[in-house]
Amino acid sequence: MAETVLQIPPESDPDLAVGLALVRKARRIRLIETTKVGIVWLILLALLTAGLLQLRFDPQYVFRHANFVLRGVGTTIGVSLVSILIASVLALFGALGRLSRNPIAQGISSFYISVIRGTPLLVQVYFIYLGLPQIGQQLKALGYPQLADIFTLSEIQSGILALSLNYGAYMTEIFRAGLQAVGHGQYEAATALGMTRWQMLRRIILPQAIRVIIPDVGNQFIAMQKDSALVSLMGVWEITFRANRLARKDSKFIEMLLVAATLYWILTVVSSWLQSRLEKRMAHAYER
Amino acid sequence: MRTNGNPIVRVQNLHKWFGLLHVLRGISLEVYPQEVVVIIGRSGSGKSTFLRCLNLLEEPTSGRIEIDGITVEAADGELLPESRARARDLRLKTGMVFQDFNVFPHKTALENIIEAPMVVKGVPKEQAVEKARELLRKVGLLDKQDVHPIRLSGGQKQRIAIARALAMEPKVMLFDEPTSALDPELIGEVLSVMKDLAMEGTTMIIVTHEMGFAHEVADRVVYMEGGVLVEEGPPDQIFTCPQDPRTRQFLARIIESGRLV
Repeated sequence: MAETVLQIPPESDPDLAVGLALVRKARRIRLIETTKVGIVWLILLALLTAGLLQLRFDPQYVFRHANFVLRGVGTTIGVSLVSILIASVLALFGALGRLSRNPIAQGISSFYISVIRGTPLLVQVYFIYLGLPQIGQQLKALGYPQLADIFTLSEIQSGILALSLNYGAYMTEIFRAGLQAVGHGQYEAATALGMTRWQMLRRIILPQAIRVIIPDVGNQFIAMQKDSALVSLMGVWEITFRANRLARKDSKFIEMLLVAATLYWILTVVSSWLQSRLEKRMAHAYER
Repeated sequence: MRTNGNPIVRVQNLHKWFGLLHVLRGISLEVYPQEVVVIIGRSGSGKSTFLRCLNLLEEPTSGRIEIDGITVEAADGELLPESRARARDLRLKTGMVFQDFNVFPHKTALENIIEAPMVVKGVPKEQAVEKARELLRKVGLLDKQDVHPIRLSGGQKQRIAIARALAMEPKVMLFDEPTSALDPELIGEVLSVMKDLAMEGTTMIIVTHEMGFAHEVADRVVYMEGGVLVEEGPPDQIFTCPQDPRTRQFLARIIESGRLV
């Protein structure tokens, strides 16, 4: 709003000058408030650092080995990105299943959602990492070596599978809400024009639902970057795995965990910023 | 205009229940090609439900609907299986204009109009665009072809919605209170488009509270109350000497409120 007001050249209208002054003042006050909050942050960080140094914290070690952990950032982002994409597809079909009148589709999707939401992510991770190979061996013993291969996944594949399955179930609600947020009139208009359900979904409903869904998927992506730490249990060489490995070897837990935590934090801040930009851009396409 | 041969719409003994509510109580109506039928009545009389049954946005509980040779039948709260398969064919015979416009907000005016012909009928894009521009000219919005609905007024949105329905070349146009959601100063532009359509011989069934418009444009006015067709006749007869006391009472109340022009 403020930007649109400022774009109007201040002409002879005295009201406009008053309005502009008020808008500028409000902005100045906001800026001062933000600065104060920033100062509090800096003080907190300084206190934290001072405290850590008192506790024989070894900054030298951090500088020497941060690079090793840093190389896990790519893996963390990659695993999260692929997983959020697969999870979105699962969530879309989950939502369609929930909204469908077909008992098979409804049954499959409600079963999937119930099982995943009813069990801890950690158990799911173990199940996929330790349980699936066992199934594979069993199949091999039964004489289906090709089927057995399917159940033998690499560490990264297992990690992606676990995160996708888990987030897909939770994101089903997001997709369902998005599909339902599109007004009933849109469904009726498309139906009255003779569209099939699939045409209506693809051409009319989904493009509108996506606008509602994208911000929430962004939030899920940000959350997932941190939940992806759990796949370190599978031996995926991401941030947490690398930090933990060094920490155990040299007994430098605080040092390495701090590096990992800082990296996740930076990832979150950057992703949140990217997301807010994306949201603004998407809103823009519809505005007057 | 009733001389145009066989009826194009034939409704027989249509019933609709919403739960325990018996909304349509055996409606039979025939509409002839090029005829303009206006349905009037108080809210809750079942006018809109009746219109929405004609293109199966509501599934009738029982009864028979025939539009331009496509017949669907319902009994015991369900469409008969072979009728269900014909639901889309029936919808393609009709074009519907809604009270709330229901234009597609993510598409420009032009895209709104070419969407269904391209997706549903497989019309090539150039051809669909040509036709859409012709329709936009007809509803007076050619200059808005690349504008998204958010930048259009209610009257403009409704005219786009009319053009969108016409683009499918339906045999019958259904209007469900097309001006009820509009600011008073925007009603005229929509009614004038509808008047043009009537002059061109478009078959139309219109549910409206615009009595002046009904008087001027309708070939036949139908008064509905309590889920039945109470009375029908040429507008002059219905508006000046209604036969049924219920019709008289309804119109008297409307004249009191000053809405009958």
